[in-house]
Amino acid sequence: MRNKRLFILMIGLIVFIAVMGFTLGRTRLTWPEKFLSDTFGTLQGILYRPASAVSDFIGDLSRLSAIQKENELLRQTVAQYAREQVRYNLIEAENERLKKELGFKERQERLYKYRYLIAQVVGRSSNPFDPTIRINLGARDGIKPQMAVTTSDGLVGLVSQVSEFTSTVEPITVLSATTGQGVQIAATILGKEKDSFGIIESYDPETGMLQLTKIDENDPMAPGDTVITSGLGNVYPRGIIIGTVVDRQVGDFGLTEKANVLPAARFDQLQEVFVIVVPDVDAP
Amino acid sequence: MRMNRAVLGGILLIILEYGLVPWLIPPAWSGRLMPHLAFVLMIYVAAFGGRHSGFFYGIGFGLIMDVLNYGSMIGPYAFGMGLAGYLGGLALERRPPALAGMMLATAVSSLGLSHMIYLIYRLFSLTSWSYAFAFYWNILPTMLLETLIALAFYIPVRRFLLKSVPSPPEEPAS
Repeated sequence: MRNKRLFILMIGLIVFIAVMGFTLGRTRLTWPEKFLSDTFGTLQGILYRPASAVSDFIGDLSRLSAIQKENELLRQTVAQYAREQVRYNLIEAENERLKKELGFKERQERLYKYRYLIAQVVGRSSNPFDPTIRINLGARDGIKPQMAVTTSDGLVGLVSQVSEFTSTVEPITVLSATTGQGVQIAATILGKEKDSFGIIESYDPETGMLQLTKIDENDPMAPGDTVITSGLGNVYPRGIIIGTVVDRQVGDFGLTEKANVLPAARFDQLQEVFVIVVPDVDAP
Repeated sequence: MRMNRAVLGGILLIILEYGLVPWLIPPAWSGRLMPHLAFVLMIYVAAFGGRHSGFFYGIGFGLIMDVLNYGSMIGPYAFGMGLAGYLGGLALERRPPALAGMMLATAVSSLGLSHMIYLIYRLFSLTSWSYAFAFYWNILPTMLLETLIALAFYIPVRRFLLKSVPSPPEEPAS
């Protein structure tokens, strides 16, 4: 056979396109993939965390005076929170009492008691089109696909694949209106939950902003407002901070408006994240 | 060329690439600059070991990278690195080049791999980046960084992978 190399190239191309097509939409992993993910995840974790500690230390050294001011500010904030805790306890007790009086069923009572599992980040992907993050909690810790992942600053993404000991998180920076990647977020504004609504559809990597679209013209949203998840759509739990509104302009077709949202969480050098476990209210 | 050492070095580089390199890249560049250390080693393997070694090494480590990066699909890195390993081996196996030639080969292969990954993702409609944006945002900086890494790797890799050649006995002065 004369053109053996071209023949092999053609066969290889067909085989690989078939493999890429088959692996395109699935979430469950086969055991070799789980084994590889777990092995490399554990080894990376051994390296990633000391490196993060060193990087933190060097970062701290270079901002020593800023840290002192931050410390002062944090002391004041903690004192304020301690004062407000008393008021919160009183309001919470009254809320419980009123709910009992209204006769809420047990199902609705358990609905918003989220569990926050803390997870360490053990590595991130090196593919610019698939910027996933790997965390060290897996199926044996109760992680399931499509659980929301946040940091203390804000929403980071959703769990996309789960192995035994590690999981992969797909950040919201892959959201795009033209491709199907990511799950769009139903959002509202903190403080204006009854009046405001929008859908976060895409992320622009150049400006680093999320796009909040389908905003009604009479919506009371303003630059500087905090955007939170609204819980509608049943994928993202409600009340997670997404970011702040930067500006607002007329949308693509002139019927609705859109806004740019600066994400509150950072997606690059993460160390710890929280995985939100929503209780299953339909289980016995 | 010692293939066992090449595979061992490749596994170590993959662990470094996922665990250590994210901390070395400044936050403003973290989505833009993603050097593939195992890929740079593969170019050396292709140059010293020939095209078949380069091909199988590329497919093996490409598959590992695909499974670790598994966000949407498995396949682009396996295919891209296999192809780059084979073509690199084809071009370089007869006379492994010296320093400048090696860096040129790494630059060209890095451009090829990045373009292949970008085109595959465009084919499956998984990214909305325009070509100009992808080029200046990701492909070009990654190529420059990988060429620098190839430069840093040159002497250690030669010593690590090649069996040392004993020097010929000296001729007696006539």
